[in-house]
Amino acid sequence: MLSDYISNGKNKEPLPPKPVEKMPHTLAGLSFKEWRDSRKGNHKMRNIRWSVLLFMNLLFVFSFWLDLSVLEGSLSGSRLVGFYLMDPFNALQLLAISSTTGYMAMLTMNFFIGLATILIFWFILGGRSFCSWMCPYHILAEWAEKVHLYLLNKKKIKARTYHIGLRFVFMIGFVLLAILTKNLVFENLNVVGIISKGMIYGPSLLLLWVLAVILFEVFVSRRFWCRYVCPIGATYSIVGKLSPLAIKFDLDKCGYCLECQKVCLVPHELWFVKRGAATQETHFVGSDCTRCGLCVDVCPGHALNYSVKGAASIL
Amino acid sequence: MIGAGTFVLSNKAAEAMPRIDFLRPPGAINEEDFLYGCIKCGLCVQICPVDAIKLAGAGEGLGFGTPYIEPRLQACDFSCDALQCIEVCPTAVLDFKPFKEKGAEAVEKAAAQPGVDLSQVNPFEVQKVAMKEAVLIGKAHVNKSTCLAHQEKGFQGTPRGNDFKGVHRSPGKNEVSASPLGEREFDREICDLCITECPIGEKAIVQKLSRSGKLVPKVLDGCTGCGVCQMVCPTQQPSIIVEPV
Repeated sequence: MLSDYISNGKNKEPLPPKPVEKMPHTLAGLSFKEWRDSRKGNHKMRNIRWSVLLFMNLLFVFSFWLDLSVLEGSLSGSRLVGFYLMDPFNALQLLAISSTTGYMAMLTMNFFIGLATILIFWFILGGRSFCSWMCPYHILAEWAEKVHLYLLNKKKIKARTYHIGLRFVFMIGFVLLAILTKNLVFENLNVVGIISKGMIYGPSLLLLWVLAVILFEVFVSRRFWCRYVCPIGATYSIVGKLSPLAIKFDLDKCGYCLECQKVCLVPHELWFVKRGAATQETHFVGSDCTRCGLCVDVCPGHALNYSVKGAASIL
Repeated sequence: MIGAGTFVLSNKAAEAMPRIDFLRPPGAINEEDFLYGCIKCGLCVQICPVDAIKLAGAGEGLGFGTPYIEPRLQACDFSCDALQCIEVCPTAVLDFKPFKEKGAEAVEKAAAQPGVDLSQVNPFEVQKVAMKEAVLIGKAHVNKSTCLAHQEKGFQGTPRGNDFKGVHRSPGKNEVSASPLGEREFDREICDLCITECPIGEKAIVQKLSRSGKLVPKVLDGCTGCGVCQMVCPTQQPSIIVEPV
């Protein structure tokens, strides 16, 4: 059971592809094209998510500006009505440096409580849900992605993809760099923190760095930071490895149209949507998934949905 | 335009010492540990009732996002009473432990005094004062060549002009919270603002007759480096400056 939970059927033999009379567009009495485009313009989940993201980030801003004291601090570390919350990658670097300098003993109980709270919270809600539901860079990157795709469509630029494991190289690299320099080096390059702090405490020159990253994503490589660099996302990916909340895939509703992969930040996690690739009737999207819901919005057959792993067997 | 690499470098340069016109908030540990221990969350900035603490941008040469105080613009006047920036810090780069101990020690000492009527001792007040006096942000130094008292000059008016945004809680006025310095009027025959406005009082700075017979300010060992004197000093450039220790 647990090995199924973890492996997600990746090591099994694929099931045979569905015959045309069992395809959802045939069952709906539509042509494949009509069926595929039937949910174009549906942005329900995205709109909910953008609202949550903006609300939470504005809550940070107004907690300070208007002295609301609801969500104080920034994404690096904060207090939600007095309860501490700590960014896990920031904490990881700090603990790594502290282990070499003996600073560990100085850290407060609030620090450890805050770190544990964040780890439990995002474990339950799916680690990288942080990215699409909280991260202020994510929303900018989504807009930059639209421009990138427009340029790509006009053949002004070409698509460049890299190995998805690159972020773990960056993650380990930044931790080592932190230990070697005794400095949170990544904080100076952390576009998430720069934007979050820029909104709360006022803009800084480092916003130029954010602009540079965005321009790189527009002209060079789609979603470069979120896909290949961000060690915060990589950390959350590990945190959410076994999260119960995940996107569930139903093979019998799938029409092999691949619309979901086109909108996905991490299309490799949707490996089972290709014709003849699925090994089980249902699959859960893996831990790189940010639970952003773009695939849920776009899927013509409603084959992808938010779900709680194991809930069916409990109920 | 400056690229990201420069910031990493400037971070390294800050290992030496923060710049002299910037001070770390109260309770800051040594600069080397401070630079990695501080996670730049800004909780100290948010809790400060007088907005004395700011986060460094790319230009201050302090390490991006780390907190600092620029006392000439807004000094730490202990308005919060309990060193809240130190208490709120999750990574203890503003370390509360020594202050907690100092406070407890003082309460114990006050209670143990012979013949003391315990009902007359407010332990919170004792603790508060002891914790406040244990702060060491820096030490104030008087510049004799510009100090008004050293030139036997007085001062009338508002020391930093009416537009000055800084606030402070004057020790003489028994205020609950800080009020704008720009709204206050002073009239002194010999300027002694740094002495009368000091939140620590006679343990930190006193008026003293100099050898040449002038009444001048003298900084004592009790100075916490809070910088209120630097903020209220009416000369164009402050004649009393807090230097990091």
